[in-house]
Amino acid sequence: MAKREPSINTENFTAVQLMELDSCSRCGECVDWCPTYDASGKDPGLAPRDKILRWREYMNKSYGLRAKLFGPKEIPEEEIEQFKDDVYGCTTCGMCATVCESAINTVELWESMRANLVKRGNGPFGKQGAFLKLIGEYKNPYMADNKDRTNWFPEDVKIEDKAEVLYFGGCTAELRQRKLALATARVLNKLGIKFTMLGEDEICCGSALIRTGQYYVNDVAKVNAQKNIDNIVAKGAKTVLYACAGCYRASIIDWPRLTGKELPFKVVHITEFLQDLIEKGEIKWEKSIDKKVTYHDPCHMGRHVGVFEPPRAVLEAIPGIEFIEMDRIKDNQRCCGAGGGVKAGIPDLALGVASTRVEDALATNADLLSSACPFCKRNLSDGRDAIGAKELEVEDVIVLTAEAMGIDLSDTPE
Amino acid sequence: MDYFAGVTDALRVTFVQMMLISALAMGIFVVGMYMNLKKWGMGSTGYGDTPSKSILAFPKMLMYQMNEHAHVHNQSVLETFVLDILFQRRILRRSPLRWFMHFTIFVGWMTLFALSFAMFFVEMVHMIGEKVGYAHSLPEFMYPEIFRELLAVPNDIFSYILLVGIIIAIYRRLFVAKVREATIAYDSILLIGLTIITISGFVADGIRTGRFWGFGIDAEIAPPMALFHVVISLLFCIAYIPFSKYIHVIAIPLALLANKGGE
Ligand code: HEM
Ligand code: SF4
Ligand code: SF4
Repeated sequence: MAKREPSINTENFTAVQLMELDSCSRCGECVDWCPTYDASGKDPGLAPRDKILRWREYMNKSYGLRAKLFGPKEIPEEEIEQFKDDVYGCTTCGMCATVCESAINTVELWESMRANLVKRGNGPFGKQGAFLKLIGEYKNPYMADNKDRTNWFPEDVKIEDKAEVLYFGGCTAELRQRKLALATARVLNKLGIKFTMLGEDEICCGSALIRTGQYYVNDVAKVNAQKNIDNIVAKGAKTVLYACAGCYRASIIDWPRLTGKELPFKVVHITEFLQDLIEKGEIKWEKSIDKKVTYHDPCHMGRHVGVFEPPRAVLEAIPGIEFIEMDRIKDNQRCCGAGGGVKAGIPDLALGVASTRVEDALATNADLLSSACPFCKRNLSDGRDAIGAKELEVEDVIVLTAEAMGIDLSDTPE
Repeated sequence: MDYFAGVTDALRVTFVQMMLISALAMGIFVVGMYMNLKKWGMGSTGYGDTPSKSILAFPKMLMYQMNEHAHVHNQSVLETFVLDILFQRRILRRSPLRWFMHFTIFVGWMTLFALSFAMFFVEMVHMIGEKVGYAHSLPEFMYPEIFRELLAVPNDIFSYILLVGIIIAIYRRLFVAKVREATIAYDSILLIGLTIITISGFVADGIRTGRFWGFGIDAEIAPPMALFHVVISLLFCIAYIPFSKYIHVIAIPLALLANKGGE
């Protein structure tokens, strides 16, 4: 009889990640902090600890001592399908990595599990499967004409053909949340900073593909990252600005990893850029925003890259704003629920997490919940609507900045 | 030649037998670790690369990650080693009580391990000395009987430290509902094994010295009890590491190093 093949393989795992499966001490900290586990009504399958346990058992069934002696033990297909569903019920927020007593790099581990399962034919989850085709075809996941990225900017917005500063707008801000993109462009204009954009040459940063484990299929994410890099260089940019946490994380961490090279430019979040100008006294405020404002750290900018202070510095500098913190902030922040493909794949779960985060904001009695990412804004707004907290405004830091600088955004096209 | 923690002529555990058990434990450990390295080596040496299937994949990827620039924490190997591995501050940050529990287990276990190893070493040197003929020129404390007396107090102290940690751990696993419900065999085997070893150590010593832990058991039972303690210690604390939750003693420090102390 032919020896049975193992039910799983180790594609897309690094050797260190396979070791990390053995380093979980099962302390349970991750379970206490996971936002999707919490919002799912404590579905045991979503607990990070449990996902590690299951994959470790799969490894041992397939490649452990007993498998070596008597052949691998079969893992029923339904079990793997269930595991796939569970591993996609995660926003890649990184909270489990922050609290992990064993310092396991969990986010990368979940992404490797997803990539492995995509390759195996199980993943991705629901609507996420369309990302690859859409991004391949349209260069953005919204099925929009790529020309529409920047051709809608009102006449007054001046975008240089070439400049040392480039604003990488990102699909969500350019195609769906244009107020944010317009605010960024007009703030830069008003500050007299000459900047350029990629326009229709811009391609999705790859975040959606990478987070959902589809990055290596036909090398799409890598090819696109390289094209973006080449186009940015061709524009003469030395500094690239981002007002989207997802694109920012993808550029600063994933692009070098995908292409195997350091980036030939600096990756800067718009709030970092503004903080610097504020410190130099180069921003003139014209309006006071008399509101109590709290701030939600986007996971992909905060925990993943460590940018915590700049958005706070901007908010504190805006006249009139009374800045107030929520309980869970910075390293300890609670995710908005949108990331990791959850918004597209499991919208109910995303909404559940968002509602909890909105409750956090309501507990501070703030008038306005701000963030620095269009994706967070979108999901937090949905969460607010879901729990009917009409009085709470949700807005991006860059939009508040624009308003305080006396910039009118009422002409933003849909 | 009698050997180890009070084992007397009565049982005639010979040096050869003891060496055999030690060698067996070490052998199983080495084979197990080799298998683990091979299993880990089924991964790749870079994100998104194809599996290399080489025994060197793990050390390669580990070195790569240790040298990579980290965006959030970029701490030195020394800091990771001292604060995260030895001092275990990641546990402390999450829960001071659990840190206390684990730190007592860790310090107790490590020290007793080191003391046993020192005892083994002294007995070896002395025995070889007797064969080769330099035994009489050894300093006094290097005589096994004297060295054993020297170790008696530290042995006692660290055994109790270990016991304190174990009692807290058992209490948590039994009486804290959330912990109890999440406990699987993987967890309990480690704790039960450690408990049996620790208690058998106390009892063996107690019988020999006729003190509290002897429970009035006849001193004649001392040698087999000591033997039991030694054999299961070797098999459970060394041979079993690669095949159980014990692997965390090796894997957690490696994960801490690979991820520069973690996020
Ligand atoms: C550098 C070395 C080590 C590190 C970083 C480490 C880390 C950990 C962590 C994070 C836990 C989970 C604790 C919790 O539930 O919160 C744990 C559990 C445990 N460790 Fe270690 N450990 C190390 C060495 C050791 C050693 C040498 C022993 C000795 C036997 C040991 C015995 C245990 C036991 C018995 C448990 C389970 C406690 C329970 O049942 O909850 N560890 N370890
Ligand atoms: S990354 Fe966030 S959502 Fe995903 S398992 Fe960890 S804590 Fe849960
Ligand atoms: S926090 Fe880390 S060590 Fe603790 S159970 Fe979760 S993955 Fe395992």
